[in-house]
Amino acid sequence: MTYQFSASPHVRSSNSTKKIMLNVCLALLPATIAGIVFFGYLAILNVLVSVIFAVGSEIVYRLIMGEKFKDIVKSLDYTSLVTGLIIALIIPANWHLYIPALASIFAIIVTKMLFGGTGQNFVNPAAAGRIFAFISFTTLLNTFPAPTIGAINPTVITGATSLQSFLEHGDSLSTIDLLLGTGVAGCIGETCKVAILIGAIYLAIRKIIKIWLPLLSILFAGLTTYMLNDFNLNIILPAILSGGLIFGAFFMATDYVTNPTTTAGNVIFFIFFGILTSLLRHFTGYETASFVILLMNVLVPLIDKIPFRKPFGYQKPKKEVK
Amino acid sequence: MKLNNLRMGKRYPYGIHVKDQKQFTSEKPIENMPGSPKIYLSMTQHIGAPAIPVVEVGDYVKKGQLVGKESGAISANIYSSVSGTVSAVCDIVNAMGQKQKYVVVDNDFKEDQILFDEMTSFEPNDIIDRIRLAGIVGLGGAGFPTAVKLSPKSQLDCLIINAAECEPYLTCDYRLMLERTEEIYKGIKYTARALNLNKVIVGIEANKPKAIEIFSKYQDLEVVVLKKQYPMGSEKHLIYCTTGRKVPCGKMPFDVGVCVQNVKTMIAIYEAIELNLPLAKTVITVSGGGIKYPKNLRVALGTPFADIIEYCGGVNDDTVKVVAGGPMMGKALTSDIQYTRKTDSGILLLKSKEANGEKPTNCINCGRCADNCPMRLIPATMEASILAEDYLHAEKLGVMNCIECGSCAYNCPAKRPLTQSFNFSKGKIKEYYIKKKAQEEKEKNQQKEEK
Ligand code: SF4
Ligand code: SF4
Repeated sequence: MTYQFSASPHVRSSNSTKKIMLNVCLALLPATIAGIVFFGYLAILNVLVSVIFAVGSEIVYRLIMGEKFKDIVKSLDYTSLVTGLIIALIIPANWHLYIPALASIFAIIVTKMLFGGTGQNFVNPAAAGRIFAFISFTTLLNTFPAPTIGAINPTVITGATSLQSFLEHGDSLSTIDLLLGTGVAGCIGETCKVAILIGAIYLAIRKIIKIWLPLLSILFAGLTTYMLNDFNLNIILPAILSGGLIFGAFFMATDYVTNPTTTAGNVIFFIFFGILTSLLRHFTGYETASFVILLMNVLVPLIDKIPFRKPFGYQKPKKEVK
Repeated sequence: MKLNNLRMGKRYPYGIHVKDQKQFTSEKPIENMPGSPKIYLSMTQHIGAPAIPVVEVGDYVKKGQLVGKESGAISANIYSSVSGTVSAVCDIVNAMGQKQKYVVVDNDFKEDQILFDEMTSFEPNDIIDRIRLAGIVGLGGAGFPTAVKLSPKSQLDCLIINAAECEPYLTCDYRLMLERTEEIYKGIKYTARALNLNKVIVGIEANKPKAIEIFSKYQDLEVVVLKKQYPMGSEKHLIYCTTGRKVPCGKMPFDVGVCVQNVKTMIAIYEAIELNLPLAKTVITVSGGGIKYPKNLRVALGTPFADIIEYCGGVNDDTVKVVAGGPMMGKALTSDIQYTRKTDSGILLLKSKEANGEKPTNCINCGRCADNCPMRLIPATMEASILAEDYLHAEKLGVMNCIECGSCAYNCPAKRPLTQSFNFSKGKIKEYYIKKKAQEEKEKNQQKEEK
């Protein structure tokens, strides 16, 4: 009788890329549901279109590359699903449906598959997709629908995000509204912070993210805003609760593939993410989380080069005595 | 009752939690396995030079008779574990793919035993000589000749007994601690005497409360309770957690004044000194979902694995893997054509579900391997440079410090074969330096000739 031959270790833990990605999808559900509640059927359409186009373009790409359909289905690891879902959640509900579709295709084909598929991309596909849409369709840039809770209302009320009106006019919504996302204009999945936090806590319990890293980002974003605004304490809370900062920190900066490998590297990554988001917000007045993520992604190879740690028992080489 | 010789070990934050799976055998007393009709004694059961066969085909050997003599400073004697006739002295390729010299003895079941002479003096030298004579090697798995380990260049101040047994499934050390406590204690005493020191630490993982209780009765041993964590049994980590000393990279435990010995080795030492027996049998755990009746067994060295598996009721269907040793660091076998060696601690038969051997996918850079590596390396980065065949960069990243514990690969969601590629690249790096040295010498010679 012959047996399987392989190198040690001979037992493996049960976690797998698939399981992790599936858990991320689950964690995105509260935010998705909140989005659907607030923005109605447009949100559902957006989510469906992005997800279908994201997963579809991976399958089509791989079919073109000569893989068998069966094998593709077997080895789909839900990363495209996550990307599609995130894209839907970081765009406003009133954009024409071809925009999320194109963004998804761009994200999957150009930023992921062309670099070799899962794990090989060096920028966050969702962020890239969003920026792609942003740049391609600039006219639609600044209209964000305000939620019409439950009501299906085809003519969406447009307006700036609370972040922008806040930055421009200084008027702000109550903290509770910001937390729940009620009456807040913005992107589908980014308005309800409570839903995002529920998802994040789920991920932390599942040991998929280290929750203190995104919190670090948010802390530093708060501090930066505080200092930029003449040390006005009242501004911290509305600033961090507005826009895409929280969503970006919990669900986009935590993308394994495009953040540093070591925990030490991630500390730098997340701190910079927080600071840069605040800075750019302050000086441009635009929603910038996705852009900052891309910027940081490009810096990751540099961060990974920093020798943070020494092997256990490392000793400084003794200087030779001349 | 508060025992003053019991304390908690130092915390070491890097390592993993593995399902320990010891429930299969941890409550099963050690059984003596009846002798096999044929035993196969490898001449390479240790690190160092192979022993040289001193018997010929047709010779009659008694139980405990020398069949392989040590050759060189780092080597060990091999004794027959049964009485009978030598039927072959030949090369055999075992299931690990290694070609080794074997002495095959046909068992006549007469159990005709010969013993060493009674020892008369117990000076350190005498003890070490007896240990060398008995062919004792580190039975924890490394197989380094114990006599050499007990003759360090400088005086040591601490003996550590490795009773962590952090490998999942294995329970042989644990059972020995419960069943043969007194023998282990005596073995420890002799070893401490050979090293000329008094301080003895026994490091036991917290999941073995019974063993901790038994050993803390000996007031002259210091029992250190270690957190249940893999790889607590790695020498470097054991030393750190029990004494707080860090063994520098590329150095050995004796450089920080300690000597680490395994529980099983202590029993072998006791038997060699008080019972005048050579090392000819060992205790192994036969376990895993693939075996009918998991057991702790005392087997004669050289017993074929096939016989052991049969004695334990045979394999279940769906057994995909046979492993010699623990599941984290043991070696997979291609078949059951393998023979018990001194360093064996277990035979595992794993079902496909336990082995979880899915195909590797792309690294997703999740950082789990880097978080867990007990040597503080960054496996994902090292693997990337190995895949790019840049072995020297991997060396710079510290691959030579890897202890091949498997922690990184165990938790990798992409199921990367990390440990395997580190093992491979170590070979490549060594090869490179050997070549480089040869090249340099060649050039030197050429220069000389030119002059
Ligand atoms: S654990 Fe595996 S997937 Fe994660 S970084 Fe390490 S090699 Fe990559
Ligand atoms: S096998 Fe090597 S690299 Fe992997 S965790 Fe163990 S020491 Fe670290």
